[in-house]
Amino acid sequence: MWGVAAPGLCTLIDWPLRHTLGPASILMIYLLGVFLVATRFGRAASIIASLLSAPAFAFFFAPPIFSLAISDIENIIGLGVMMVVANVTSNLLERVRFQAGIAAQRESLATALYCLSRALSEAQDEQTVVLTAISTIYDELGASSVLLLPDADGHLRYPADRPLRQSLRGADLGTAQWLFDSKKSINGDSAYIPVKNHVTYFPLEGSQGMVGILAIQTATAPNLSNREVTTFLSTFLNQIAQALVRVRLATQAREATLQAEAEALRNSLLSAISHDLRTPLTRIMGAAGILAERESSLDPEERIDFKKAILDEAERMSELMSKILDMARITTGTISPQREWNAIEEVVGGTLARLDKALADRPVNIRLPGDLPLVWMDAVLVQQVLTNLVENAVKYTPPGSPIDISATVRSSMLWLEVADRGPGIPAGLEDRLFEKFFRLEAESPQTGVGLGLSLCRAIAEAHGGGMGAANRPRGGAVFTLTLPLREPPAMEREEEALP
Amino acid sequence: MTEPSPLVLIIEDDPQTRRLLKASLGGRGWDICEAETGAQGLTTAKTGIASLAIADLGLPDMDGVSLVRSLRLVSDLPILILSARSQERDKIEALDAGADDYLTKPFSTGELDARLRALLRRTAKAAAKEDVFRLGPLKIDLLRRKVFKDEAEVSLTPIEYRLLALLVRQAGLVVTHRQMLKEVWGPEHVHDSHYLRIYMGQLRHKLEADPARPRYLVTEVGVGYRLVGQEP
Repeated sequence: MWGVAAPGLCTLIDWPLRHTLGPASILMIYLLGVFLVATRFGRAASIIASLLSAPAFAFFFAPPIFSLAISDIENIIGLGVMMVVANVTSNLLERVRFQAGIAAQRESLATALYCLSRALSEAQDEQTVVLTAISTIYDELGASSVLLLPDADGHLRYPADRPLRQSLRGADLGTAQWLFDSKKSINGDSAYIPVKNHVTYFPLEGSQGMVGILAIQTATAPNLSNREVTTFLSTFLNQIAQALVRVRLATQAREATLQAEAEALRNSLLSAISHDLRTPLTRIMGAAGILAERESSLDPEERIDFKKAILDEAERMSELMSKILDMARITTGTISPQREWNAIEEVVGGTLARLDKALADRPVNIRLPGDLPLVWMDAVLVQQVLTNLVENAVKYTPPGSPIDISATVRSSMLWLEVADRGPGIPAGLEDRLFEKFFRLEAESPQTGVGLGLSLCRAIAEAHGGGMGAANRPRGGAVFTLTLPLREPPAMEREEEALP
Repeated sequence: MTEPSPLVLIIEDDPQTRRLLKASLGGRGWDICEAETGAQGLTTAKTGIASLAIADLGLPDMDGVSLVRSLRLVSDLPILILSARSQERDKIEALDAGADDYLTKPFSTGELDARLRALLRRTAKAAAKEDVFRLGPLKIDLLRRKVFKDEAEVSLTPIEYRLLALLVRQAGLVVTHRQMLKEVWGPEHVHDSHYLRIYMGQLRHKLEADPARPRYLVTEVGVGYRLVGQEP
């Protein structure tokens, strides 16, 4: 359109000036018109403009006027030069435009690549890598895709998560598997990329071989054949593969650490069990043996003593077993907190009721503010914490010395404290107390495997809270459980009293 | 008791535990009949000879909840369930399904005996409805809907009273959170645990000398509440 309009416009500008300007200047103005068209509208328009400019000049300006004939040789040469210059400049401009386009595309792909590599380097797990890859492909190429990763047996699998908006459904696992296996056997020499039903299957190769297959819906991504995009894609595939390998190695390393920790735990568990379970078991077997063999020869008092010993030791073992099991269940995540709105008062009451026998001669001072809020917690687990703390206080402080239980609300946390007037905690051990199997004296007469406090900490942390220990200013130890508070839901209150 | 000893049906797959229960309960004056599986237990329960059932939660042929449901279909005999510590959820589900009480293993024979007696008493009481319930310093007049502590009337809100009356009807037995919420606030409130916590707190403060160490309105943490104490 502009190819036609520009020569017309130039003619209109030149017409009133035809007496003052020479033919060379008029030609220059036509040339300018063609040049402007070339810069804005590309080569085709500029050629049309230059082809129309020639007859316009010949007709309106080159004598004889109003005829296509040109009598002056100078004007013919001028016209010829104008045509050539117009053509060359428009070619040059076209190339510049093309290069700029490529540069812009390259820049956007480079930015995408940069964003991708940053996102991938931050990804901590396979799922995030997959998510990043799929959404970047969708954003940059407009194509849905799916990452097929092998399971432990080398069979490619669809991701277990729910498909995303950008996910490709219906990729052919057979083709992907074939590509995966062939790449693995010929070590990636073949450059063949299979396409089936408009889905292209790209191999993802890491430093240690095949990582997986990326299937892209090619039908919706027409520019996938573009060389720039292909280069981008191969860099991109490389990045994904590397990220997957990195994440996998990190997982392996983490598992190895966990395994080492589990191993250490198992060892200390074994040694603890061998001491703490075998001692009561020996006593039970001894007492039961005597009763079974020669009960009739014992006097009634002795009989009762032996039976009581069996009962006491069995109770100790049972308590120990449940602690070990609780610890295992909490640290392995087999049980997670079943949270409800609970009253601290009830948990304190439940704990003291449970320990009624052990607390027989102990003064217990309870200080709970009347306006204590409900806490979003698993009451059974928190009661376990409180039970362990009170039991410890009973076990490690002189008989008859008081135990103080108090709760306060500070900086949107609940602080539940169990304090005693015992010997306190040796300096520097305040934190080590909470380590698994830590005991102040390894072979002390006190029963326990050193699991109680670490269990407390595990429960506190499962609630988003914490456990701490300190010495009181005037003697004794204080153990503090902190639990986060949140706004309880609204409820309708009834006001009227019973008639 | 002049009547023959009450018959306890023990549904338990482990022969050692059965033997132990039989020996310890037999010594305390209970008659025992045994069932190794849930199916066997159901058959015995149908005959109607047993006055109580003790059911283990970990039976090989059916889980605790379905056992309790099936038992409830054929009989309304009181059911006490035995659970291990790892069966917290199952225990509550079994209670909600209609079991009357629970004991967590390991337990002492004395405890078991006391629970069984409470269960029997409640069944007897359901037959002969009493109008006034006494518990230590507390007197609950179920007919006039009045509550007294040391002979002085305590003013309760309607909800507080309904909670207390519910516990009185099940005196000695555990009542689960779900049962209480459903009974007092209605089925749409069974998950509003904060309602129950707040009103039970108020009730404790009105009726107990030391609400943090209640003697009568006892909290069974994670399960429900129980009204305990010496009874008439």
